[in-house]
Amino acid sequence: MSYNVKLNVYEGPLDLLLFFIKRDEINIYDIPIAHITREYLDYIHLMQSLNFQMAGEFILMAALLMRIKVQMLLPQPEVEKLEDIEDPRTELVRMLVDYQKYKEVSDQLKRLEENQSQYFPVSSAVEMRDYDPELFLGDVTLIDLGMTFQRILDKMPKVKQFGIETIKINIRQQIRFLREFFVKRNRIRFTEIAMKLTDRIEVVVTFLAILEMIKSNEIHVSQKDIFGEIWLTKKKPAEEYVVANA
Amino acid sequence: MLSQTHKIVLALLCGATEPLTKTQADVCLEEDVALDRVVAELNNYFETEGLPVWIQNLAEGFRMMTRSEYEPWLNRLFQNKGKLRLSRPALETLAIIAYKQPITKNEIDAFRGVDTTIKPLVEKNLIDIRGRQEGPGRPLLYGTTVHFLEYFGLASLKELPRAREIAEIVDAENLPAGDTERNAT
Repeated sequence: MSYNVKLNVYEGPLDLLLFFIKRDEINIYDIPIAHITREYLDYIHLMQSLNFQMAGEFILMAALLMRIKVQMLLPQPEVEKLEDIEDPRTELVRMLVDYQKYKEVSDQLKRLEENQSQYFPVSSAVEMRDYDPELFLGDVTLIDLGMTFQRILDKMPKVKQFGIETIKINIRQQIRFLREFFVKRNRIRFTEIAMKLTDRIEVVVTFLAILEMIKSNEIHVSQKDIFGEIWLTKKKPAEEYVVANA
Repeated sequence: MLSQTHKIVLALLCGATEPLTKTQADVCLEEDVALDRVVAELNNYFETEGLPVWIQNLAEGFRMMTRSEYEPWLNRLFQNKGKLRLSRPALETLAIIAYKQPITKNEIDAFRGVDTTIKPLVEKNLIDIRGRQEGPGRPLLYGTTVHFLEYFGLASLKELPRAREIAEIVDAENLPAGDTERNAT
């Protein structure tokens, strides 16, 4: 029998510290480090006793708090001017003040989001009708291509058993496979090709084959908008030549 | 009555799937359109006639929107898909990016004190990649998109609340000035 305990969720160590500062009405520019460290460690121990997964950042902050405390206890080296003595808390205060600022802005964004959700655009970008897609195509960057592949890889069934298999396909073979698509048509959707692929290694090798074909100027890739469909277009035969080292 | 120019602008606004800019209007009408004025007059007209739409100044352009009082019906139409909201970490991350762009993931992490997940925001088209920072590792730089402005109902990045204004804004419960929807009565 297990229980789920719902506690206030803090986004990170800074969030937690700000909670203590607000609750105990502490002046952020004059933080009593001993007090705040005790509160902080109590919270961490509570989380641990409840079997919470403790993010590394929380432990890191505990170490930072203790280091500041130690620095404050150690005698300062003799300095000429009083201003030269640096408060070991300065860095922490700066982090907290910055974080607080962005936290407030994010609350403001939340209100804007809520407000804007009342309005619906009169016409929105639904599926494009039967336009000639080529009219609207823009160039694809390597990142777009990579992200599309990542999405396809994510859709692949997860491997439950592990074994070592010989890789049975190669780039040359996948280039031939891709060329078959271009026999009847000049332009194909990337997802059409992807649908024919069944495992990860096949996707990876096909990706390499596409890169190879782009490099050898055999095809061109284009995309209408970000995360949109990627189209592969066959270049004119004059530009086509044998793929080297495929 | 609406002039021919008003009607054409209205038609453009009805058909456009993203905010209509002054440049686009000029190109379509083949003349220099006083778009701000035409939009203001159209908004007056909608209000006088009690129509369920208004034109919002969004992302450096204009977009025709439904009025807030029709939200319940539209929510039913979209089966509450419009009810999805960004999480707190996502909003925090966006706040930092909006003010500090272009910014690297490491810099965002330093502000938040935690490891930040960037990918969902890129996938939602709220931020995009602005190139790489010179220096070790050449990390990617992120900035907000046009869709970010639309999503939060902002006419431009200048409308983002400035840090020292925030306290006052929170007190007054005011949304950024500009053209907020007026009540049609």
